[in-house]
Amino acid sequence: MTSTPAAATGDSQPAVNLTINGIAVAARPAMTLVEAAWHGGVPRVTGVSCLESVCGSCRVLLRRGKEVTVDLACQTFVEEGIEAVFLPPQATPKHHYEISEFTDSWNNLARFHEIFPEASHCRHCHGCVRSCPKGIDVESAINLAAAGHFRDAGEMFLECVMCDLCDSACPEQIAPAHVGLFCRRVSAHFRLRPPNLIQRLEEQRKERLLGQASPDSHE
Amino acid sequence: MSNGGTPLAQARALYRVDSELAAPPELADPDTLLNAFHPDHLRSSVVKLAVGANAGENCQRELAQQLQAEAFIDEADLAGAPVTDTDVLIIGGGGAGCAAALAAAGRGARVLLVTKLRLGDSNTVMAEGGIQAAIEPDDSIQRHIQDTLRGGHHAGDPELVSAMAQDGPEVIRWLIEEGMQFEQTASGDLHTRKAGGMSAARIMHCRDYTGLEMMRVLREAVIQHRGIEVWEHSPAVELLSNERGQKCVGAVFTSLLDGRFRIVRTHSVILATGGLGRLHLNNFPTSNHLGATGDGLVLAYRIGAQLRDLDSFQYHPTGLVHPPYLSGKLVTEGVRAAGALMLNAAGQRFVDELLPRDIVCAAILRECAEGRGIRVDDGRVGVWLDTPRLERSQPGMLERQFPKLLARTQMSGIDPRSEPLLIHPTLHYQNGGVVIDVNGATTVPGLFAVGELAGGIHGRNRIMGNALLDIISFGRRAGVAAISEHDRGPKKVTLEHVNQARRALTLAGMPLTQRAPQILPDYAAKGIWNR
Ligand SMILES: Cc1cc2nc3c(=O)[nH]c(=O)nc-3n(C[C@H](O)[C@H](O)[C@H](O)COP(=O)(O)OP(=O)(O)OC[C@H]3O[C@@H](n4cnc5c(N)ncnc54)[C@H](O)[C@@H]3O)c2cc1C
Ligand code: SF4
Ligand code: SF4
Repeated sequence: MTSTPAAATGDSQPAVNLTINGIAVAARPAMTLVEAAWHGGVPRVTGVSCLESVCGSCRVLLRRGKEVTVDLACQTFVEEGIEAVFLPPQATPKHHYEISEFTDSWNNLARFHEIFPEASHCRHCHGCVRSCPKGIDVESAINLAAAGHFRDAGEMFLECVMCDLCDSACPEQIAPAHVGLFCRRVSAHFRLRPPNLIQRLEEQRKERLLGQASPDSHE
Repeated sequence: MSNGGTPLAQARALYRVDSELAAPPELADPDTLLNAFHPDHLRSSVVKLAVGANAGENCQRELAQQLQAEAFIDEADLAGAPVTDTDVLIIGGGGAGCAAALAAAGRGARVLLVTKLRLGDSNTVMAEGGIQAAIEPDDSIQRHIQDTLRGGHHAGDPELVSAMAQDGPEVIRWLIEEGMQFEQTASGDLHTRKAGGMSAARIMHCRDYTGLEMMRVLREAVIQHRGIEVWEHSPAVELLSNERGQKCVGAVFTSLLDGRFRIVRTHSVILATGGLGRLHLNNFPTSNHLGATGDGLVLAYRIGAQLRDLDSFQYHPTGLVHPPYLSGKLVTEGVRAAGALMLNAAGQRFVDELLPRDIVCAAILRECAEGRGIRVDDGRVGVWLDTPRLERSQPGMLERQFPKLLARTQMSGIDPRSEPLLIHPTLHYQNGGVVIDVNGATTVPGLFAVGELAGGIHGRNRIMGNALLDIISFGRRAGVAAISEHDRGPKKVTLEHVNQARRALTLAGMPLTQRAPQILPDYAAKGIWNR
């Protein structure tokens, strides 16, 4: 059960030979690493979910000769000789905040630096940028955030899939993915005040008041 | 599924982006088409349940096998398993589970949220289209209720639908307060769109990433909340009952990492395990995430909960066939709404592409069954979605409006701007589910069910954008109701309901060979456990 003979691919195309979690797999061309892991019977591959690279679970480390990179297994195709290792999930962040405790938005920048004190220590090492499977310029976004440009920084994380590969890469433990979400969340929480929604909520509030006042109301 | 069909390479060579197209044939009788080709209507696909709260009622065949299967565990497995106590136990870490957790924890309860994969690995994260709420001046809560009931073929429960529609505006406000972003118009209003079955523009969205935005915000809020503890990679394998097997008092979890069992005791369990696409009903591909295996239905049924509409599923017309690794994945309905046509292997239109989903599905299945489809090497068949023609009539539109689709297909060397996409209906959504009241309470004391797992809201057909609303609306309702259970918690936790279910199966002469819940599809479960 530890290896798959090359013949097992069962079709005429030559197999692509690679290793996944140390196990030799003979895959068909054009398989993703997830399919190859299933096809080759690699046991205990648990970090897989959406299969369309939006959930960020299937983090893999890839070794091609001396070159080492990271990516998502569901968007990486098999290559001859590549070594792939599924990575465990990133530990939960040590940074803590509850958005409901934010009251005065003038203090947001101060709060940000209290919560993420490392964010101002970025070494510009590009580790996060190289890791991001979505091509996000994480480093620039972190620096925007540290300067209080939360909306612009947050906008850069639009396609972030929470894989936390940037967190794993960051030598300063800035937790860039969580900084990104902080930026997006405070922007919505403090800035989004849509008149059409507010108008309808107000109508509903008045109706409820009327309902309570009238004697024949049900509730 | 196949009956001949033209090989892919040959069909590609035949395809012309500038061919003259005749209008599709008039659809004389939709009911005959549905009865002959829609999977829900296939005689062989429906059986009558023999045991349980829905005995005698119709149920899809493969689902019935799951519902009438033997449990995963028995008393012997529980010996020595560590026990944890909590106020509220939430099973499932998608949108519904997170909303319930935040609502309960926000009122001071100790919450434990346990999920099968990673927190946020779910159907929620994949939703693209958007979420409904009646907020525009020309819209009303009443119209939202009417559209939902009509869309569901009047099989929905008006009380549930009304509760959800009333909650709509407040749900959006709550999501914004948690930090979710939505598209705005230049004047700052929330941008709304109209989709199939809606009498007013009512869909709100965050580009085509609405589910991703919702899920990552709720996931972060849950991770950050001090009152919520999260266990990941820990699927529920069974519920626990009191000595009479009549009240739900906890659950048993296994670990995907070390296979050990753990017991949780509580006075309120909220099941939020989502849908069942990965059971691949009637052998269909699915748009769902890997953990959508209907576990919650199995657990709820075994402890005695009433279910409903178990023979009604939504098949989305445009699931990808090729490339194989994206099999079953959605091409959003927006592409057809934008004007993309569908062609068979002979390059002919065969149905009005904008008819309701079930009719379009049946029409595609008819083409495939009658040999007018396009066949890939492994025997699967589909029809063309003519994206190049759309691009030709509106240059640049695919890139502008459907960036996610382009990114996804181009990775494998297919460019929908120059090559039509091969599509086939895909199992998308579970219309029915566990019977609930407006608080998400099931017919079993102590047990709540919310999200895609619950039934009665969407009747026999869900209209776009109502699922994301329903999971937050009922998720939060159940979170609040769960903490007002004043029972001081269980003295003894047992598997009595499992014993009762086993006796019923034996009495009915059913085999005890299959075990459920499924937890992961067989193709993805290698080395994780032995059943
Ligand atoms: C591709 C796609 C696009 C969609 N687009 C839209 C849209 O535009 N608008 C809309 O309104 N709806 C849409 N839907 C439907 C909607 O996304 C879902 O119905 C909804 O998000 C379900 O939410 P949920 O929380 O009930 O379930 P999920 O989000 O699926 O969460 C269920 C969770 O429970 C966990 N779980 C399952 N079994 C167990 C177990 N045994 N133990 C512990 N945990 C378990 C799962 O791992 C998962 O985390 C779409 C669905 C799909 C698949
Ligand atoms: S920003 Fe970080 S968490 Fe987000 S997708 Fe990129 S690497 Fe993953
Ligand atoms: S990895 Fe960390 S330190 Fe390096 S550039 Fe990115 S944020 Fe800065």
